[in-house]
Amino acid sequence: MNCQSCIDRMVELADAKLDEETASQVRAHIDGCAGCRREYESIRRTLEALDALPAAAPSHRLRARVMGDIETEKLTQLGHAGWASSIRAAADSRRDRRFAWGPLLLQALGACALVAMGFAVGERTATQRQLAELRVKVDTMGQLVEQSVLQKGATGDRLETILAAGKARKPDERVIDGLINSMAFDTSVNVRLNALNALYMHADQDVVRAGVLACLPRESSPLVQVAMIDFLVASRDREAAPELRKLLADDKTDTDVRESARRAIEQL
Amino acid sequence: METSAQSSDHKLMLAVRDGDLNCMGELFERHHGPLFGYLTKLTGDRTAAEDITQIVFQRMLKYRHTYRDVGSFTAWMYHLARRCASDHFRRSSPGPVAVDPSELEGHADESRRADESAASNDDHALLRLALGRLDRDDREVLLLSRLQELSFAEVAGILECSVGAARVRAHRALRSLRDHYIRLQKEPLT
Repeated sequence: MNCQSCIDRMVELADAKLDEETASQVRAHIDGCAGCRREYESIRRTLEALDALPAAAPSHRLRARVMGDIETEKLTQLGHAGWASSIRAAADSRRDRRFAWGPLLLQALGACALVAMGFAVGERTATQRQLAELRVKVDTMGQLVEQSVLQKGATGDRLETILAAGKARKPDERVIDGLINSMAFDTSVNVRLNALNALYMHADQDVVRAGVLACLPRESSPLVQVAMIDFLVASRDREAAPELRKLLADDKTDTDVRESARRAIEQL
Repeated sequence: METSAQSSDHKLMLAVRDGDLNCMGELFERHHGPLFGYLTKLTGDRTAAEDITQIVFQRMLKYRHTYRDVGSFTAWMYHLARRCASDHFRRSSPGPVAVDPSELEGHADESRRADESAASNDDHALLRLALGRLDRDDREVLLLSRLQELSFAEVAGILECSVGAARVRAHRALRSLRDHYIRLQKEPLT
C-alpha cells in the first residue's frame, strides 16, 4: 500500500468502517511510515474535535410546524376522498331540505380545527375513536363550507378576514389584538375557532397565551374550550394549570372539556 | 449492512407512501435532531436550518409516492436535504443579513471579528469558524461523511459521485478544516 491509498482510507480507519483485511494493511503502512503516522494522528484529532461539536437543538416550534404540515396533508387527503361522497350526499339531500346544515357546519369546522390544532401542536391527545368520528365529520366539510359559510355574508366576511390575518407571518399588534377580540367576542363559533387557529402561529407571545387563558372560562362552546385547552398545552403554558383545575372542579363544565382539562394538567 | 433501525425507517416510509401519514410523525421524531444539526452546521444559521428541516419533511410528504421499495430512508432524506439546502443558498442574498446576536457563536460564515475573538479560547467556537471558512461543497461532503447513519456509498449516492471520489473529497475537506483550525489557533487576538 502506498501513501496515497493509505491517506484515502484514514477517515474510515478512524471510524472503524474498514474491513479487517484493509484495516490491517492501512495500520501496517502507518506503523512503517512516519509521515502517514503524523497525518493519521492529526486527522484523528480533527475528527474527534468535529464529532465533539455540541449538537444544536431545534426550537419547540419546529415540531409544531411539521406536525401541522402532517395534519394539513391528512386533511387534504381526507378532503380529496370526502369530496365525492359529499357531492353524492348533496344530490340526495336536495329532496330533503330539512337537513340541519347549521349544527353540522359547526361540528365539521370545529372538527377540522380540532384535528388541525390538536396535532399541529404535536400533542396526540385524541383517541382513535375520537379521530374516526372527527374524520367522518370532516368528510362533509368541503360541501358544507361551500353551501353555507361562503354564502352567508357577515359570518363569511369575518371568517375570510380571520383567515387572511392568520396567513400574515409577522402581523402587527393591531392584527393580533383583532384576532384575540374575535376569539373572545365574536358570536360565531366558527369565527372564534378560526381566530384561535390563526393565533397558534403567535403562541410564543405572552399576550396571546394570556388572551386564550382569559377567554377559556367564559367561552360558551365546549368545542372551542377544548381547542383552547389544546392550544395552552401546545404553548406549554404552565400558568394555565390553576384555571384548568378550576374547570375540572366545576360540576357545570362539559364532560369533554373536563376530560381535556384533566389530560392537559397531566401534560403541563 | 442494513441495521434494524434502517429497516424500521424504511417500513415506516413505505407506510407513509401507502397513505398512513401518522408514520411520518414517528420518522420526524427519529430524524429531525440529526438533520437539524447537520443543516445548522452546513448553513451556520439556526433559523435557516429550522426552515430547511421543515421543508425537507414537507417534501417527504409531497413526494412520498416517489419513495422506492429499495434503498435507505436516511439516504433519501439527506438527498432531499441537499436539494433544499441548495435552494436556500441560491435564494440567500449576498447582501448584509440581520443576525440575532445570540446566534453569533454558531454563525459559521462570519469572518473572525472582535466579538468572536473573545471566544478564541473556545475550541468549539474556533472549529465552527473553521467550518464556516470551508467551501460549501467541502463542508457538505465533510458533514455528510460524519453522519453515523450514512455509509460512504450512500454519501457518494447523495453527492452523485463515485465512492472513491467521495472518499477523496471528504479527506481533502477534513485536511482543509484542520488547516483553517490551526491557522485560527495561531491568529493573534485583536
